[in-house]
Amino acid sequence: MALETRGLGKSFGHFAAVADVDFHVEPGELRAVIGPNGAGKTTFFNLISGVLEASAGTISFEGRDVTRTSGPHRVHLGIAKAFQTANLYPERSVLQNCRLAALAHVQGPFAFEVIRASQRLGAVDELAASALESVDLQAAADVRAGELSHGDKKRLDIAIALATRPKVLLLDEPIAGMSKDEARKTEGLVKQLASKMTVLIIEHDMDLIMGISDSITVLHQGRVLASGTPAEVRANAEVQQAYLGGHSAAEIPT
Amino acid sequence: MRGTFRFLLLTALGLIVFPFIIHPIGGYAGLATQVVIVSIASVGFNLLLGEAGMLSYGQAMFYGGGGYVTAILLLRAMPEHPNLWLAVLGGTVATAFIAGVIGTLVVRVYGIYFALLTLAFAQMIFFIVEQAKQWTNGDDGLQSIPDAPLWFGPQSVDLQATLPPFDLGPFGNLSEIHLWYPFAAVVLLLVLWFVRTLNASQFGEVLAAIRENEERSAFVGFIPARYRFAAFVVAGALTGLAGSLRAIYDGVVAVEGLGIDRSGSFVIYTVVGGVQTLLGPVVGTAVIMYLENVLSAHTGSWRLIEGVIFVLAIVFMPGGIVGTLRSAGARKGRATLRKSLDPRPGAP
Repeated sequence: MALETRGLGKSFGHFAAVADVDFHVEPGELRAVIGPNGAGKTTFFNLISGVLEASAGTISFEGRDVTRTSGPHRVHLGIAKAFQTANLYPERSVLQNCRLAALAHVQGPFAFEVIRASQRLGAVDELAASALESVDLQAAADVRAGELSHGDKKRLDIAIALATRPKVLLLDEPIAGMSKDEARKTEGLVKQLASKMTVLIIEHDMDLIMGISDSITVLHQGRVLASGTPAEVRANAEVQQAYLGGHSAAEIPT
Repeated sequence: MRGTFRFLLLTALGLIVFPFIIHPIGGYAGLATQVVIVSIASVGFNLLLGEAGMLSYGQAMFYGGGGYVTAILLLRAMPEHPNLWLAVLGGTVATAFIAGVIGTLVVRVYGIYFALLTLAFAQMIFFIVEQAKQWTNGDDGLQSIPDAPLWFGPQSVDLQATLPPFDLGPFGNLSEIHLWYPFAAVVLLLVLWFVRTLNASQFGEVLAAIRENEERSAFVGFIPARYRFAAFVVAGALTGLAGSLRAIYDGVVAVEGLGIDRSGSFVIYTVVGGVQTLLGPVVGTAVIMYLENVLSAHTGSWRLIEGVIFVLAIVFMPGGIVGTLRSAGARKGRATLRKSLDPRPGAP
């Protein structure tokens, strides 16, 4: 089991954004998390990555309880995330963005290394270069990250996550706001990544989700409504009612 | 490496001519020594403001704190055999310790909250020192701190000794220079070398990354609070070092050294000289201390003038004197100053 949650919950005051979520992913799986707006998808991702602390339940990663493990430490265990809005160092070059992530992987969560510079670390360069290559941004290595197009920013965000050598990669709406071409390119990228690691993906684009996912978890009002293969989820009456507004399965794109 | 050598060489040359060029324009050699010592604190302050993006408004607690610890060590622990090394080391280590205790509490808040919290701690330390009269002599401060010589093995050097007389015409006389000046200049050079190395190191790289985007830095796997803490302690120790040297140089310490004016002075020196530049804090310290010295002899409204200079620098020269000489210096300076007041963790 790569990742598992039991009874996972997060409340903000009296509002339960995520409640009682039992969830597990096998290594190598490509799992989509879908649900209407406000279903708690991003909150769920934030609980897994450690952006937010759980108010109930447990999270375990490779059999190890990480519920109280800090975000940076989870990254070192192998849980990385790309943000919903690309989260970069806009003043730095594309390569430097990846080098920082690679440095974190090579150096650890804290090193009082006040003498040596990172330029001497070949492993950092290799990791950064291979992450850039994965998302096909080598040509833009020297461009300032802030100057990239929307789609390239989102792909750089993924490259940053990849440079930390994740075992589980969380992608929060990776193609949101992308042009058709960019979206197609990113879809290919996600498929490729899924062959190398466990991928959890939040996405509103049903074409994409139904096409690439091994399995789907549907969240509704913070709870798991259904879970299964794309076909099972598509056929689920409750899902149609809650998420798809009562349209028949035939209308859902395949 | 060659860049570092050139930087140190040029800075050394600047420090050699500095006491002579301020002579004909109304300065004096002692002022040069004071500038060099206080600069060490400014350089430490800029490690916080320029690199870590942390606007400390309480650096005086380390400046005055280092001074008091050094003074008490010399007066009580080694009145018979004063040793400058030990006294300065004691002051520096003690301030690093104080910075460590306070740092654990303050590094989790940001921007204006961080500034206010450091100010509050500085005021608390001011109050404690003022009240602990048996040790600190309260408002009167500590006088007649023994003149601590510099020991090199069995040899001791009296820093009050002067250079041999040599007339330099309008630039004064070599004999006006006490050995304090070259000693303090060497310490400043070493500090600059250290901070320059630190900024270019992996630590410095991550510290700057955290300033630029803390959330991203945490989610590539760095622990921001630890980096901010380390920067706070190093800056505190450097400021304490400056305060320790100044206490021995002056022979007295006063509570003003712990006060809010003193804390504010490091902000003004650094912003006027240039945040995010290594030499900016030194240049800013020199310019403001020089102007204060010259102008306060002629006018009672020096504080007003200083305030105007500070405001003008922020508005028209956010890169400071040194930053403005560089491309993008103004933009970087403005971004750093703006972010240093933002109460949210560094976000781009």
